[in-house]
Amino acid sequence: MTLQIGVLLLLMVAAYAVASLKKLSVELSILAAAVAGGLGGAFLKTPPLGELPRHLVEGMFPYLDVMLVFSTATFFMALVSESGGVNYVVRGAIKLFYNVRVVALLVLMIIILIPGALTGAGSVSILVVGAPVALALKALGIPERKTAAILFIVAGLAAAAPPVNIWAMILCAGTAIPYVGFTYTLGIPVLILGTFTVLWLGLKKEGGMDKAAALAALPPVPPGMKGWRVLVPFVVFFGMVIANRTWPFATPIFGLPLEFSAAAFTAWLVSPRKPDVLKLALNTMKRLLPLLATMIVVGMLQQIMTATGVRGMISYAVISIPLVLLFIGLAVIIPVSEGVLTYGAAAILGIPLIWFFDSIGLHATVAIAGLSILWPLGDGLPPTALIGRLSVMVSDYKGTYWSFLRQTWVPWLVITITSILMVVYSAKLSFLVKWSM
Amino acid sequence: MNVIMIFYYLITAALVCLLGWNLIREKKSANDMILGLLVMIPLVLRLLRVK
Amino acid sequence: MSAPESKPLAHPVRVKIVLAVLAAALTVAGGVPLFKHRHFGTPFVAGPGVTKVIKLSDYSPGLKGRFVDADVFVMEGAEPGGKALIMANTHANEPAGYLAVKILIENAVVQKGTLYIIPTINVSASRNTKAGDGYPLYYDIPTDWGRVRFRMGTRDASPLESWPDPDVYIHYPDKQLLSYLDLRNTNRTWPGRPNGPMMERVTYAAMELMRKEKIDLAFDFHGAETMFPVTNCIVAPQKSAKFATLASMMVKAMEGFDSHVEPSPQNFRGLSHREIGDFSNTLPFLLEAPIPFLDQPTGPKTVKLLLDGKDPFLLSLAKKKKLFVSYDANGWPMDKRVGQHMSTTLEIIRQFSKKTPDRAIRLSGAPKYADLVRDGVGKYFHDPAKAEPGRIHYE
Ligand SMILES: [Zn+2]
Repeated sequence: MTLQIGVLLLLMVAAYAVASLKKLSVELSILAAAVAGGLGGAFLKTPPLGELPRHLVEGMFPYLDVMLVFSTATFFMALVSESGGVNYVVRGAIKLFYNVRVVALLVLMIIILIPGALTGAGSVSILVVGAPVALALKALGIPERKTAAILFIVAGLAAAAPPVNIWAMILCAGTAIPYVGFTYTLGIPVLILGTFTVLWLGLKKEGGMDKAAALAALPPVPPGMKGWRVLVPFVVFFGMVIANRTWPFATPIFGLPLEFSAAAFTAWLVSPRKPDVLKLALNTMKRLLPLLATMIVVGMLQQIMTATGVRGMISYAVISIPLVLLFIGLAVIIPVSEGVLTYGAAAILGIPLIWFFDSIGLHATVAIAGLSILWPLGDGLPPTALIGRLSVMVSDYKGTYWSFLRQTWVPWLVITITSILMVVYSAKLSFLVKWSM
Repeated sequence: MNVIMIFYYLITAALVCLLGWNLIREKKSANDMILGLLVMIPLVLRLLRVK
Repeated sequence: MSAPESKPLAHPVRVKIVLAVLAAALTVAGGVPLFKHRHFGTPFVAGPGVTKVIKLSDYSPGLKGRFVDADVFVMEGAEPGGKALIMANTHANEPAGYLAVKILIENAVVQKGTLYIIPTINVSASRNTKAGDGYPLYYDIPTDWGRVRFRMGTRDASPLESWPDPDVYIHYPDKQLLSYLDLRNTNRTWPGRPNGPMMERVTYAAMELMRKEKIDLAFDFHGAETMFPVTNCIVAPQKSAKFATLASMMVKAMEGFDSHVEPSPQNFRGLSHREIGDFSNTLPFLLEAPIPFLDQPTGPKTVKLLLDGKDPFLLSLAKKKKLFVSYDANGWPMDKRVGQHMSTTLEIIRQFSKKTPDRAIRLSGAPKYADLVRDGVGKYFHDPAKAEPGRIHYE
C-alpha cells in the first residue's frame, strides 16, 4: 500500500510542478495536483472514478465560513480605509511619536496586529492596513525590503494572536480539546516577538526624512475625518463580540461575518465622504479572489489526499520520526507544510502531532499555541507564499522575492526557537493557560 | 430559519452576485475566470441548501 | 498575485462560456450525490418488541417540525420495571452503535421494563458529510438476502441546520468556552435549552425524555480513534461507576473482550456522560469502541477500512507502541465493535437489574458479542421486503 500511495503522491507533485512550469497560478497548480491525485487514485478505486466529482465539490467546503470572514472583514477594513480612517490613525501616530521612534514602531505594530488578531488571517492585516503602515514605516526611514519583512512577520503574528487563531481552532476541533486558555499563551509570545521584530528591523534609521517631509509623504486625511468616526465601527464590532461573550445566553450567535457586516454598515454611515460601496465591494472581491480560491483548492487537495491515503501516509511519516529529531524537524516541517497546504497543514500534520504530544505528557494547549506561532512563517514560503507575496506587493519592494525573504531571517529564527521551546517545555508553561481561563 | 441565518444566506447571495459581476466584466484572464467560478460553486450549493 | 499571463484572450466570451459550462457540470455532478445523501434513508423494521415509535419533539416543542427531530423507538415489556435509553449516531461517523441499535430494534423483545432507542440523536450530522476528509458517502452491510445500505454521516450537524458558528461556543449553563465547531456537536451541547441553538434543543429534548419518563440508565454509543487516549472503554461519572466496573469485569471474564472504565472528567462540560448525570436522576454511560477508520495515519478512507479496521500504517504504529488499544493484522472488524456495544450494554442492564430488582429490565432476542463475531451483523438485519409496510421506518 505504501508504494501505491507513494506513486500517487509523486503524481500529485508532478502535476503541481508541470502546472507551475506552464506558468499557471499557484491556485490552478494546486487544483491540478488535486485532480491528478483523484484521477490516479481512480485506478485503485481510492476514490472510485464515479465519486471523483463529489469529492472535488465536497472538498470546496471546509473553509466556506473562513471565506465569508475574509470577504466581510476585508470589505469592512476597505471601507474604513477608503473613508480615510486608517490614514487618520497612521498620520496621528507619526505626528505624535515621530521623535519617539520606539513608540511609533510599537503603535504601527499594534495597527497591523489588530485586523489579523480579529479575523485570524494575516492577509486581512496586509490587505487593509498594509499600505498606509508601509508608507509610515518608509517615512520613518526604513527601506522597502525591511518594510516588507516587518509587514510579513508581524502579519503572521497577527494571525496567530488571540482571540481568533485558525490553526489552533482547527487543531482544537480536530482533537476535542476546548478552544480556551489561549489568551496569554498566545498573546504574550506574540507581543514579545512582534516587539523584537519591529525593533530589530526598524530601529535603525536608514533614509533621511524629517517629520514635516514624512507627514507630507503620507496620504491626506479627508476633511471631516475625526477620531470618533474611526472608532464607532470598531465599537460596533467589538460590542457584538463582547456581547456574545458577556451575555451568551441572552444574545443570538452573530458569527464573525455578520459582526463585520454590521461594522461595515456603521463605517459607511459615519464616513465623512460616502465611498461607492458597489465599486468597493467589487474591487474587494477581485483583490481577494486568489485568497478565496486558495481556500477552495486547498480544501479540494486535502479531500483528495485523504481519500487516496496520501494524507494518512504523510501523517504516519511525521509521527514515526524519533522525538528529538521531530522537535528539531518542526522548524522545517511546520512552515513548509503551511507553504504547500496553508491551513490544510494544521489538519493533516497538526492533529496527529498534538495527539502524539499529549500522549507523551506535553501540555496540548501550550503545544498548539507553540505550533501556531510557527505556522504563519510558512505563509512566506512558496508555492503559496500568501502573506509574503502580499507584503512585497503593498510595500512596493522591487527586488527579488528571495532577497525580501532573506531580510526576515533573524526574526524567523527567533520565532522558530521560541515556538519549539514552547512545545518542548509546554508542561512547564501551563501556568499561561491557567492565567487565561 | 431564524433571522441571523437569513442574514447569512443574504451575505452568501451578495458574494455570489459580486463574483458573478466580476466574472462578467473579466475580459483578459482565463485564470481569474476559473478561480471566480471555483469560488462560486460552494456558495451556490449553500444557497440551494445542498451542502 | 494573479497569474503572470495577462495577454488578452482571443475569444474571452467563448472561453468564459466554456468554463462556466464546465463549472456548472462539476456543480451538478458533485452536488447531486451530496443532495441524495442528505435525503437517503435506511429501512429499519420495527421488530416484535417495538410497541410504538414516537418523536423526540414529543418531549420538547422546540423541535416540532424541524429537520433535526429524531425518531424514538419504544419497546415496552408486559411487566413494569426499570427504563433505559439508548442513543446512537451522536457522532454519525462512528457507526458501530447505529448498527447495534438497528439489531436491537429489529430483534429484541422486552419482558420487563422499557427500552427507548434513538437510532440517530444527531439527525443533521448523519445527513451531513465531513468536507475535506474524503469519506465514502455510504457503506453496505451484506446479509443473506442482499445488501443494506447506510449513510456515512459526520461528527457535527450540518450548517444547513445550524448557521453561523460562533467565534467560540459558550457552553450552557456552565459558560465554559469550547471550540466554535462544538455548537454543532451533540456531545458538547448537553444539557441544552428548549429554545437555544438547534443542537441544544436536541439534547434538551433528550434530557426531558429522561426526566419525564424517569429513565434509569442512558447509553450513548460512540467510536474513538485507536490513537485517542479515551478508546475501547466505558466512560462513566462517579454515580454510574459501580455498574460500569462490574460490567467491564464481567465482559472480560465471560465474553473475553476488554472495555475498561474511564472516569468522566469533572470539568469538561457538555458531554453526555457528564451532564445527563448532573441534570437528571439517570445513570449515564458512554461506550467507546475503537474505529481505526477515523485515525489520521491510515491509508485511503474506504468502506473496507471502515468495516474491517485493517490498516498497514496503524499496524506499524502499534508495533512502535503508539496506539491505545491492542492492534494486530486482524484489524478491528465492525462485527466485533458492534458486539462490544451490545454485550457491554446488556451487561450493565443486567448488573443494574440485579442490584435494583424493582427497577429491573429484562429482554431477550438480542445477540451477544460471540454471536455477532460468529455470524456477522448482517445476519440480524430483517428484510424490509418481508415486513408489513407500517413497520418500516426510514432512518
Ligand atoms: Zn464520538
